[in-house]
Amino acid sequence: MNREQEEKLTSASRRDFFKKTVSVSAVAATGLVVPSTVLADDENIMHHVKWGTTLGDECNKNPYGVPSKYEHNVVRRTSALMSSAGDMHAAISMTPIAELEGIIVPNGLHFTRTHNGVAHVDPTKWRLMIHGLVEKPIVLTLDQLKRYPSESRILFLECPSNSAAEWKGPQFGTAQFVKGMMSCSEWTGVRLKTILDELGLKPEAKWMLAEGGDGSEMSRTLPVEKVLDDVMIVYAQNGEALRDEQGYPVRLMAPGWEANLCVKWLKRLEFGDKPWYAKEETSKYTALTASGKAIQHFYALETNSIITSPAPEKDWTDLKKGDLVEIEGLAWSGYGTVKGVDISFDGGKNYVEAQLKGLVLPKCWTRFSYMYKYEGKPLLLQSRSYDDSGDIQPTVNQEKKVVGVEGVYHRNAIVTWAITEKGEVSNVQIRS
Amino acid sequence: MFKLDRKLITIGMTLAMSSTFALAAASAQCIPGVYKSKPGAIDGGVIYPRENGVYTAYRYNTQSTKGVSFGRTATANEIKAWDVDARPDGTGLPEGEGTVEEGDELYETQCAVCHGEFGGGGKGYPQLAGGNQSKDKDGVVITLKNQREYGKTDAPKRTVGTYWPVATTLFTYIRDAMPYAHPKSLTDNEVYAITAYILAQNGLEVDGEEMDDDEFVLNKEKLMKVVLPNRNGFYPNIDGPKAQENIRAFFADRAKNIGMGTRCMKDCKDPGGQDGKTPAAVAKIKYEMKDVVPPYAYAKDLPPETEGGSVSKAEKLYDASCKLCHGTDTMGAPKVGDAGAWDAVMKKGMDKVLVNAIKGMGGMPPKGGNADLSDADTKSIVEFMVNSSKKH
Repeated sequence: MNREQEEKLTSASRRDFFKKTVSVSAVAATGLVVPSTVLADDENIMHHVKWGTTLGDECNKNPYGVPSKYEHNVVRRTSALMSSAGDMHAAISMTPIAELEGIIVPNGLHFTRTHNGVAHVDPTKWRLMIHGLVEKPIVLTLDQLKRYPSESRILFLECPSNSAAEWKGPQFGTAQFVKGMMSCSEWTGVRLKTILDELGLKPEAKWMLAEGGDGSEMSRTLPVEKVLDDVMIVYAQNGEALRDEQGYPVRLMAPGWEANLCVKWLKRLEFGDKPWYAKEETSKYTALTASGKAIQHFYALETNSIITSPAPEKDWTDLKKGDLVEIEGLAWSGYGTVKGVDISFDGGKNYVEAQLKGLVLPKCWTRFSYMYKYEGKPLLLQSRSYDDSGDIQPTVNQEKKVVGVEGVYHRNAIVTWAITEKGEVSNVQIRS
Repeated sequence: MFKLDRKLITIGMTLAMSSTFALAAASAQCIPGVYKSKPGAIDGGVIYPRENGVYTAYRYNTQSTKGVSFGRTATANEIKAWDVDARPDGTGLPEGEGTVEEGDELYETQCAVCHGEFGGGGKGYPQLAGGNQSKDKDGVVITLKNQREYGKTDAPKRTVGTYWPVATTLFTYIRDAMPYAHPKSLTDNEVYAITAYILAQNGLEVDGEEMDDDEFVLNKEKLMKVVLPNRNGFYPNIDGPKAQENIRAFFADRAKNIGMGTRCMKDCKDPGGQDGKTPAAVAKIKYEMKDVVPPYAYAKDLPPETEGGSVSKAEKLYDASCKLCHGTDTMGAPKVGDAGAWDAVMKKGMDKVLVNAIKGMGGMPPKGGNADLSDADTKSIVEFMVNSSKKH
């Protein structure tokens, strides 16, 4: 049998398979569960498969494991619009959020933002200086930092530019580009307060400058109050060392706050009595509002959510009318803990309550779920989250009424997926 | 109708009561996701206590960490070497000076390839000068109120002159992070000169003295006196002893200050529009950005076989040290692959081209800014660039 004949035969039996499936589905619906003699038999069951009849790879062929080759399309993506310069050294790559499960993002898929390329820091030459308004200014090596008692937290990290392309209307056609400037990981490091307790923070210290050691010398000013509450210096991500893209060997972690404040390739912490007005808290990372004035020191990321199944890249075109299907998504808040998520099927006129599932942690991705009977009708599907600080996710109109459409940062308006009769999904906005 | 309403009210009350019970039960039984907290965090969020070894869902080690101390005292010289930041009041600015004219020359060779002539911006890199600085009666830069909605297309321009709050940031930005491909390569005098040039291009003055004059000399004392037009264009106020309280108050009223939703569940109305009444409609993507890298693909199949595979050492070095400028035709450097551009270059002869690559030329620093490259490596890179740019 030549290749052409083989293909013809295979496709014919496939067609047969689907035809017969349809004809017996009515029988199946009546509750008949005895093995069918009408359905075509699946070749993958009837014959031995390749991987069952050959010797696999040696057990440690890949000393550092890699994903299945069949998953090669699950990757970070970027585009020219994701650059803050004319090239891709100051740019952002997006996490494929619709293709991930649970609340932990694999390290290789964590979204990446760089301002002067990905730095490669030699850990033996890396130093952290802590000085300014402290009794004892110190220098730490990486080994010394790791001698401090450690803590681990599962926290989301989100670029405040997440969804920045969508202020004036929907622009991207996938969940990856609508909300992929965020990830969630278990971060391990030292609580900064533990170190500061020994250094003797002076009472006039009100601000902390955090400075990175890469080519952009990224620096930001944080209020000491936050530093003493829950800020960490982290060196591990999901059990292993930070990836270069995430600031290897050490980055700052300010839970719930702009990822930009969680300075990567951390080099220096200085305590002072006045704020610094660093470049990324003045010319950038300030949110211009319709009043002509801009919000500065914009810290926590607001309550937010997105439905990841269905999504444009994970649609419902394979569903039949009457299928009971799970609507699933992610909710998060930098102010505290997600309390609940509401779902709308009609573009925000009416809402029902979804359920949270899995771990529900502060300043962390939280999964929500709603069981839906698919009817093949057009829908305008939305999710709206709220948290334990009283924050509620706004509609597009509610948000732009207060801040306008030119602010770039901190956009958390409700996302809408339009679903057609065929189950296709696209990104739209309900706005006036 | 009345009956129905009463029924709804009863249901509502039952729900309210049961949720009260649920909350009480939650704190007693530690329902996951319901944690003890108090409002009033500086960012508008809640504060979770750390007590009795428990912090939200996490336990922590309650043993004393008093006396845990690693690392060593920083030396005065080390602090001096790294503590080079500068604040708006001039604290930390180094000695030195530079003229607008010197800045002009430096800008032409070091900055203009990205930021355009006279700071006018270019090809995606930030615009540094230009834009209308005129203010309204409340002192707000008028063009910063531009909103690209309802058919309006004028964007607010965020340049040093129209948007930035303080000038010291310009100095530290240039010194620490510029030029983009080889940051921290300028001397303090050169940074003062370029800062002077950019401030001059924005038509600014200091102490009543116009800066748009080649002879103008910028130094520490003058830079800290520069008041940028949009100095008061930011909120909440983060200066002075009440800074923290201002921030706390601002984020405490998020509905008013940054926008917040309402938990409407039924027959929700979401008026908006220019008149506040226009009903919301479904806005679709007008022009979808599909040009993404790698391209969209979702098949669970085997990746395509890559041809050749191995990349030469010269190409790797080119990628790391030269591609930023030579990979596009936007940076003023001959683009690799552009046969015409390289024909013109090679008219000088290979020997001369090699000398230029090693010693630097025009806007290009020696060896593209990577001093670690050997002359032999530089030669192999140049050959790679020439060979990759030949007509097929």
